[in-house]
Amino acid sequence: MEVADVFRLLTGALSLLGAVLCVWVARVNFGRIPEDRKVSLGVATVSGVAFFKLLALAALFAVPATTLAVANYHTIEGVHGVDACNRCHVMTPMVTDMRDPESQSLAARHFKNGWIPKDQCFQCHSDYGLAGDLHAKMEGYRHLARYTSATYTEPIKFRGVFRNDNCLKCHEGTPKFTAVPSHSTVRGRLADSSLSCLNCHGRAHPTRDQRTPGHPDYPRLVGEKP
Amino acid sequence: MSAPIEPNPTPDAPPNKYRREFLWAMGGLSAAVAAAMAGWGGLELMVSPGTADEWHKSVCRFCGTGCTIRVGLRDGKVVDIRGHEAGHNKGVICVKGSMLRALPEIEGRLTRPMIRKGGKLVEAGWDEALDLIAARFKEIRDTHGPDALAFYGSGQLFTEESYTANKLFKGGLRTNNVDGNPRLCMASAAAGYVSVYGKDEPPGSYEDIDHAEVLFIFGANPYECHPPLWERIQRRRAADPRVYTICVDPRLSPTAKRCDLHLPVIPGTDLLLLNAMAQVIVEDGLAERAFVDRHVRFSQAGQTMDFEAFRAFLQDYAPSKVEGRLGIGADVIRHVAHRFARARASMSLWTMGVNQRTQGTALNIMLNAIHLLTGHIGRPGATPFSVTGQPNACGGVRDTGALAHALPGGRLVANAEHRREVEKLWGVPEGTISPKPGHHAVELFRAMEDGRVKGALVMCTNPAQSLPDCDRYAAAMEKCFTVVSEIVPDSETAKTASVLLPAALWCEKQGVLGQGERRYQLVDKLLDAPGEAKSDLWILAELATRLGLGDVIKARTPQEVWDEWRHISAQSYYNFEGMTYDRLRALPGLQWPCPTEVHPGTVRRYVEGDDPFVSKGAGIEFYGQKDKRAVIQLCPYVPSPEQPSADFPLYLTTGRVLEQWHTGTMTQRIAELSGAAGPARFVVSEVDASQRGVTSGDMIELSSRFGSVRGRAVTDPSMRPGLLFAAFYDARLLVNRVVADHFDPVSKEPEYKVTAVQFRKAGD
Repeated sequence: MEVADVFRLLTGALSLLGAVLCVWVARVNFGRIPEDRKVSLGVATVSGVAFFKLLALAALFAVPATTLAVANYHTIEGVHGVDACNRCHVMTPMVTDMRDPESQSLAARHFKNGWIPKDQCFQCHSDYGLAGDLHAKMEGYRHLARYTSATYTEPIKFRGVFRNDNCLKCHEGTPKFTAVPSHSTVRGRLADSSLSCLNCHGRAHPTRDQRTPGHPDYPRLVGEKP
Repeated sequence: MSAPIEPNPTPDAPPNKYRREFLWAMGGLSAAVAAAMAGWGGLELMVSPGTADEWHKSVCRFCGTGCTIRVGLRDGKVVDIRGHEAGHNKGVICVKGSMLRALPEIEGRLTRPMIRKGGKLVEAGWDEALDLIAARFKEIRDTHGPDALAFYGSGQLFTEESYTANKLFKGGLRTNNVDGNPRLCMASAAAGYVSVYGKDEPPGSYEDIDHAEVLFIFGANPYECHPPLWERIQRRRAADPRVYTICVDPRLSPTAKRCDLHLPVIPGTDLLLLNAMAQVIVEDGLAERAFVDRHVRFSQAGQTMDFEAFRAFLQDYAPSKVEGRLGIGADVIRHVAHRFARARASMSLWTMGVNQRTQGTALNIMLNAIHLLTGHIGRPGATPFSVTGQPNACGGVRDTGALAHALPGGRLVANAEHRREVEKLWGVPEGTISPKPGHHAVELFRAMEDGRVKGALVMCTNPAQSLPDCDRYAAAMEKCFTVVSEIVPDSETAKTASVLLPAALWCEKQGVLGQGERRYQLVDKLLDAPGEAKSDLWILAELATRLGLGDVIKARTPQEVWDEWRHISAQSYYNFEGMTYDRLRALPGLQWPCPTEVHPGTVRRYVEGDDPFVSKGAGIEFYGQKDKRAVIQLCPYVPSPEQPSADFPLYLTTGRVLEQWHTGTMTQRIAELSGAAGPARFVVSEVDASQRGVTSGDMIELSSRFGSVRGRAVTDPSMRPGLLFAAFYDARLLVNRVVADHFDPVSKEPEYKVTAVQFRKAGD
């Protein structure tokens, strides 16, 4: 079981607990709790009213807050994995291609050579720094909204600008990088991503044609059995 | 712990309590959904608009790879360039292509016509300039005959422009003095293909790289000169560990450094290598005799010979007999021959190292020959491929026949039947086309020098920098009434002009480019040209009118010219009648033959099922020859006229660098490219430098039998002693001043790659 699965189970259990507590507290008539009713909590004994107030606090605030924290940990960290992206079938061609040892796409070459050991999608698609991480989450949310509302068409199309920082954060300054004189003369254009690294270094993923239903490569890329 | 549960007494609750709670819950849910939707909507609005507002399919302006690109526009300017993933280049371009965005904005564009008055070029109007040109051309024609006029074009003009110029001069002005810079770069390839298959242009495609097991890179440097092809080769190597790359180059070029095997032949001797490989193939039983017997004919001086005669001819080229002159050991030659022949599929890729030679045609013939002998042709990955240097030398010049000896669709000036066909197709009276072939490039400039040619139109090229022995020919242009259509006023050629015409470039005009794999692609007009600059087609059409030849040049828009030429092509094996502008606009190009508007184009020529001209059941058929057999001419090795001597003991070879293209008229004006390449310099070996007291960075004076030039030298430990290299992009180091202008007797292509030179240290 992966860490993400533990968090998923924990989130489920906490949600259930919160719901049970809410129902329980909602059914209590505080005015009818006998004043002499004492409840032992092990370390202390409290009145029945105090107990249910504590229970209400837990049901309405503590448990939901904990659930949210645990669930968001999953949202923030658990979706870094390739499988998280692969859950949307429109992303499957990218993942299939990346894991295809025969493929020569940039993603596949980075994958099979172990240049990015884990969370390969996230590593190349989250811009540098905290803002980049946040941006990736926002994009992830947008993708989720698009996917669940089915407001997309295949083949999906990258919108916006792929930031060269995702390449430069590893490649810049390496001997191979500095050996090419034009890397320094186009440095400004690389930095603001107005000149894409992909121009010279090739395709990152299967082409749009390949990802279009009806293309001969489409069934293989979406994992359909021949 | 026991909890005192006291359920709420239901009877006390108001009857609508649960409805209210339900509404509250629904309200909360709606608010949550609304918040989520608002967040989504906000994020959609926050997505970056990208680098451009609109994207258009186009073609790279630079080399002959002919990459399909996407041009990004914003506010009417080119702001981004991306490789087109649907193109043959699969989205890959190079840094030059990436910087195309800066090309329309380069400083110093020529925006008004200029006429030389009192030794100086002064601005003029179009009418004045064109009237002057027409008057002078008429006067020259009437006084000295039509052959005193000439057109010198370019593999960078659009097809519609080269076609129109060819028609105007051959079918209108009645002179065959129509040549151009393709003579300097691929005439030998054309002559080789015509000699072997009867028709020009490669049989294979770039796609063959994806299937080849041996890649035989001969006299080519794709790492620098055709980077997207090199990237494709790299992908092929990574995909299959059996792939073996061989580079034949006297210099340890960036390509050679990265290949599995480098054969550093002595400059000018590589025909010995090909003949020796053929000898090994024949002697060691590596020839595909069944294929050869069915599809190949051997010939010498027009006489058909048999396989045994070919074998006998090759005996003088046994590896042990040539290794000393070639500089490659006999065992290595045998190894290469075996590797090439035994591979599942071998592909040769060659460019200027082969073409720009006094034996360029022979080298081309023999490169095709080793494929024919071993049957490495007509299968995926098996093909002899001449890579081209300019974006439209193939489509615009070779296919339209815009060369001194040629006519459209593979026809020849010297063939009376061909002349009659073309006169009919052009709608000009019989006898219009002169039976006398015109002057080829070098001869054309010699004719300007001695006054045989008195008026010339030079379009889209910079011969004063690109010709060998360039000072001599720049002076010749100054003696002549030279009209130059140019993008800048200060190119070496513009300086010689009598009249200078401002030309539109690239996507400031519309037309078709035809690159090395017979692929034609459309460039649409996206921008307005600066100032009064006009397309070369407009200039030609206006000139035709003023020359009284408007009835010859009736088609005046790119599409009209294209449709005329497209229909004419149907009367030849260069048939691309199915390539309408609409199809070319919709698709990332099509490869001819493409005879109908539903034909998908031809990836492999001469192959049944792919090439529409191959007879049913033939399998492979070289239909360009009368007997449908490819012809292997016996090609004896003839040493280059440029042999080292006591006075000139070293070899100079020239070429390109990654970030610059041709004479740098465009790329030198783009800071990202000129900054990366830096000023041109001589690359010399440490041995040669130290013998002359030269250290890296010193100024040297390089001299040959043709002249001398000063420039800075850099030493390179990988440079072999006895060899120097210089690129020709920098007008500040006009290396062509010293380059020999010997040319191939068949193709007439000059030998840029071999010049005997000497150098000495010069003061700063």
